[in-house]
Amino acid sequence: MKTKAAIKPSRYFHTKALFALSAMLFMIAAIASSFRSKEDDPFKKAGKQTINKDSIESVKAFASVYKVLMSPRCMNCHPAGDVPLQGDDSHLHTMLPKRGTDGTGVYAMKCANCHQETNTPGLHTPPGNPKWHLPPADMKMVFQGKTPHELAKQLMDPNQNGHKNLQQLIEHASDTLVLAGWNPGEGRTLPPLSHKEFKKAWITWLTKGGYAPAPKPQ
Amino acid sequence: MANLTLNINNKEYRLDADPQMPLLWAIRDLAGLKGTKYGCGVAQCGACVVHMDSEAVRSCVTRVSRAAGKKIVTIEGLSENNNHPVQQAWQQIDVPQCGYCHSGQIMSAAVLLRDNPNPSDADIDDAMAGNICRCGTYLRIRKAIHLAAEMQQKTANG
Amino acid sequence: MLALGYFWKADAREAEIIKAIDADDFGVELNAWVHINTSGKVTIFSHRAEMGQGAYQAIPQILAEELEVNLSEVNVVFAKGDNKKYGNQVTGGSSTVRTAYKNLLKLGATAREMLIQAAANKWNVLKTDCYAEGGHVYHRPSGKKFHYGELVTEAAKLEPPKGILLKKRTDYKLIGKPLPRLDTWIKTNGTAVFGLDKEIPDMLYAAVERNPRLRGKVKSFDDSAARRIRGVKDVIKVKMGVFSTYREGVAVIADSTWAAMQGKKALKVVWDDSGFEHLSTDEIYKRMRESLKTKEGLVFKKQGDPAIIFKNAAKKLDVIYETPYQYHACMEPLNCIAHYQGDKVEIWGPIQAPDWIQDFVSKEMNLPREKVIVNMTFLGGGFGRKAFMDYPHEAAVISKAINAPVQVVWSREDDATQGPYRPGMMYRCEGVIKNGAIDAFKVKLAGQNNDHWRSGKKGEPNRSSSEGFLKPYYDTIKNLSINDVPFETPIPTMWWRSVYASTNGFAYESFMDELALEAGKDPLEFRRMHMQDERVQKLIDKLEEVSGWKNRKQNEGYGVAITECFESTVGQIVKVSRNTDGKVKIDHVWAVMDCGWYVNPDTIKAQVEGSIVMGLGAAVNHQVTFKDGKAVDNNFSTYQMPRINDIPPIEVYIMDNEEEAGGVGEPGLPPFAPALTNAIYDLTGKRIRKLPFNLAEV
Repeated sequence: MKTKAAIKPSRYFHTKALFALSAMLFMIAAIASSFRSKEDDPFKKAGKQTINKDSIESVKAFASVYKVLMSPRCMNCHPAGDVPLQGDDSHLHTMLPKRGTDGTGVYAMKCANCHQETNTPGLHTPPGNPKWHLPPADMKMVFQGKTPHELAKQLMDPNQNGHKNLQQLIEHASDTLVLAGWNPGEGRTLPPLSHKEFKKAWITWLTKGGYAPAPKPQ
Repeated sequence: MANLTLNINNKEYRLDADPQMPLLWAIRDLAGLKGTKYGCGVAQCGACVVHMDSEAVRSCVTRVSRAAGKKIVTIEGLSENNNHPVQQAWQQIDVPQCGYCHSGQIMSAAVLLRDNPNPSDADIDDAMAGNICRCGTYLRIRKAIHLAAEMQQKTANG
Repeated sequence: MLALGYFWKADAREAEIIKAIDADDFGVELNAWVHINTSGKVTIFSHRAEMGQGAYQAIPQILAEELEVNLSEVNVVFAKGDNKKYGNQVTGGSSTVRTAYKNLLKLGATAREMLIQAAANKWNVLKTDCYAEGGHVYHRPSGKKFHYGELVTEAAKLEPPKGILLKKRTDYKLIGKPLPRLDTWIKTNGTAVFGLDKEIPDMLYAAVERNPRLRGKVKSFDDSAARRIRGVKDVIKVKMGVFSTYREGVAVIADSTWAAMQGKKALKVVWDDSGFEHLSTDEIYKRMRESLKTKEGLVFKKQGDPAIIFKNAAKKLDVIYETPYQYHACMEPLNCIAHYQGDKVEIWGPIQAPDWIQDFVSKEMNLPREKVIVNMTFLGGGFGRKAFMDYPHEAAVISKAINAPVQVVWSREDDATQGPYRPGMMYRCEGVIKNGAIDAFKVKLAGQNNDHWRSGKKGEPNRSSSEGFLKPYYDTIKNLSINDVPFETPIPTMWWRSVYASTNGFAYESFMDELALEAGKDPLEFRRMHMQDERVQKLIDKLEEVSGWKNRKQNEGYGVAITECFESTVGQIVKVSRNTDGKVKIDHVWAVMDCGWYVNPDTIKAQVEGSIVMGLGAAVNHQVTFKDGKAVDNNFSTYQMPRINDIPPIEVYIMDNEEEAGGVGEPGLPPFAPALTNAIYDLTGKRIRKLPFNLAEV
């Protein structure tokens, strides 16, 4: 069902809202996923692929990657602050749950207290995934507010990307939490590209050298 | 008939339940423990909070199948005689008005105090902003959590 | 004054035990409220509903004072609906204490005197040598004593004495003290029985899909999928009365709440929405605005000759204020159990108005009134919504149709989208200032009239809203007119906490600020000039003192509002400033309550605190939006409640005086919104005339 999210921006209760510049999401899991379908095995494909650097192709592919990562489905869990974002307008998550040290929430407000292993049926109900969480406090992997240049640099930097090497990055496109972006639950829009298109762009960007677009966006 | 077993308050309940049924309704209608409340059904209000393996889960969106094999504690089982420090503090400060949300409030506060024995106001906000109180007892909730922390520390210090 | 009968000696075991103490024996009935068993246990019947406001505390605290028993040892149970015995039991209008306290004091004192007389008779001593204390009667000279249980059987046979002197306030041991609430213990361990928690043997559960357009009918429905759901027993078409209209729906009856709810989701219903307009919010307010421009309306109150002053004035203020439709949003969604048994129907639930339910259901189901037996449980919030008959009526209709006891459970979505709602209102306020004071004030208000739903006459002004408008200023505004411009929509409306005052207060206390500015006066001083009642003057002094009004600083905004509601006056001062991001934040709220004679100061403080929190939500977030005849927001995800991190520090003060008791549960709400918007004006120069508004965007 493709419905527009009916969540309206809260008036008072999101006063601490950071201004969502453009929105999006992408769940970088701390642990590499075990998910690998035969047909779709990025590791295999990447293995066959030789790294053939091409800055123009790479940057072009990143434009598509960036659109996805900055969409609410990706960015909402990569906020600039310590509170996740929510909805297609990327408002601060109601009730302001906090990241916590390991990204799974704090006290009585842990992600998994509401977010189940699968989506809860119904409009405005918590979407689910067994690994639902934010990036941890020591590796926040912020997307919100990042320019294409900044985001690309960050993704390529092992000290900012969860210590991932190229192969791990490639694999990450099929992480279950990343895939959750394409199964967002009722009332939430999908990322602007299909997962297949996204993965293709992602791998292209990386295998062509992982170039960052110019610092000043045109 | 029973298709699953729930351990609630250290007691085994053999239940015949649709595995999709939220834990909330299994606790209330099948196990007959009515202290856990229905408020919104979509994890927005916190009236249904119970402890599942020591975490403050929202039973209205937790399927009963997820709860099988885990230890569930409801408000009825939080303490022997209504004397968990949080309950005692709630009583001393007369926190509840209508009282409907307070099973959930107390269960959330108990997890906060377990993880953080001396919470600041900001910690209380972080832990309790998921629990709605329409009567507006929030200032007393804050006060009672500070008091419960003191009481807990006194007990710990013997 | 209520027609309270004082003494019934019949052995009564009528009320349900909510607190499981001495459940087996209430003992002998000394009067309708007081039962004592032979072991001395005192049971006090609460004839009013407990929804958080503290009637369950206040009624026993008053009775125990004169009865001379320890409050902590008293057992409290809810009375059944029986207004011949208890008088009006409709728990609304903040009326429990203010309408009943004098009788309750007399009831307690009379029972005490009868117990003392019984002891004197037993000992064969002078009654004047005996006294009562802590549930015992003592013989002063000898020190002998009886507990009340040893006396009650004899006492009940005595003629109740007349003309008993009541205690002076200074002699009270219980009244006026912040005694701990009797219902706290059961509300911290999950044992308090709310409507949704009540179970009766062989009870089934029902969930009802009602017409989303508030008044429509069922054309047809397909229940084949619903009937396949495990646990579903039956599916039937039902109706419930909403004032003089009916709303139809389809009920799914099942063996658990969950199964009923699932069955309801699987229904396919075709609705008949003919015969009324499908309005949207924009259209409603456009029409209100239009009618305020073009119509004079019906005269509710007129003094002096405002028209001539407006005609000759060189300058006048002329502004419009708007307030939204509001949903009650009790934490406990509506629910009700009914058990129809041919010649009677018994009802259990979170009920504010047992008498109205008896009247309505007996008429609808053609039963004698006393055959509609109504039991109150604790209420998980009420705010006026549970002072209604629709949900018990529907439960009774279902029970009759399936011939079994049934609990009808409303989902949060049902609760939010079905109304009735607090009506949206629009006010056109005009004023002229002369010599620094109000020379003339004219208001026209447009908004739905709750009374019309209650079969009030359409050609009469709106007493459910006009009442109380500007009341504290009546004496000083010599040229005044209040007109009601009749306004109708198909949306059912009703009372919501503090009723008329919650919207009127915003309009007139905002306009008072605008007039003060026009007059070049300090807003608090301007009110002092125009509210000359001595009690209000003292309240203003108190507000000024506790808030530090005179010492306010440059970068702080202070706003004041004072309103009257249900015989009490509350003043509030709100302080705002900008945070480091430049957003307006609420720093502090001071509230002063004058409710005259009062019972429990801690309950009063709690009620004012809670009213301010509810007022905050109503001011900055809440509005029911209609689109194509349906209410849009259906859960807390979009109708967002204030949460713990939104609440500023609140200080509450109570005026001490010997005046008549006023209301407590509601009067704390109306001043908050105008005090806040007045404070925002003070800080920013921006006048907010429409609620709700976005604090983040000020």
